[in-house]
Amino acid sequence: MGRSIKKGVYIEEKLFKKVLAAKNAQKREVIKTWSRRSTVIPEMVGLTLAVHNGKKFIPVFVSENMVGCKLGEFSLTRNYRGHTSKDKRGKGK
Amino acid sequence: MARIAGIEIPNNKRAEIGLTYIFGIGRSKSKAILEKVKVDINKKVKQLSTDEVTRIRKYIESEEIVEGDLKKSLSQDIKRLMEINCYRGRRHQRGLPVRGQRTKTNARTRKGPRGSMIKKKK
Repeated sequence: MGRSIKKGVYIEEKLFKKVLAAKNAQKREVIKTWSRRSTVIPEMVGLTLAVHNGKKFIPVFVSENMVGCKLGEFSLTRNYRGHTSKDKRGKGK
Repeated sequence: MARIAGIEIPNNKRAEIGLTYIFGIGRSKSKAILEKVKVDINKKVKQLSTDEVTRIRKYIESEEIVEGDLKKSLSQDIKRLMEINCYRGRRHQRGLPVRGQRTKTNARTRKGPRGSMIKKKK
């Protein structure tokens, strides 16, 4: 079930303040955040956020299409490089 | 034979079932449409009068998104997800399940036949 409309979208309060401040200051500063669960709001468009993926901060440039998604969706937490191919496996031995 | 929403020609089935031959209309939507335009659900498609068919056609054209338009909007939605480089978009690109299903086993619908993954990537 979705979230009640009455409450509005969720966004970490501290992050929200920072975003508004950055928007007013017209600065190109990257905002670091751990709040992957925050929603991308229209005010963020054009800003770059550094979203933590558990290990490091992934820079996310927010575009118009991203509004409504969560920040975490743009910062992958898993690192999958694929399985070793058969010919490579033989060389190791 | 009735021609509704372009190419669809449902045959001698009940109107409720016949409408579901249109992409984008299932049982519940079909029922709702027939109720809105006041056509008996149990009437066979071939028994429908021209007037009734026109009413259905008009309603679908004005109220519902079906067939080509629906397919287009669906693929656009997926394209948008892929362009913004979010998790769901990446899953679409890789041809893996998008909604958090397990992939250790199963997921064959998305992945395709076993062992064909390498071919699919190209």
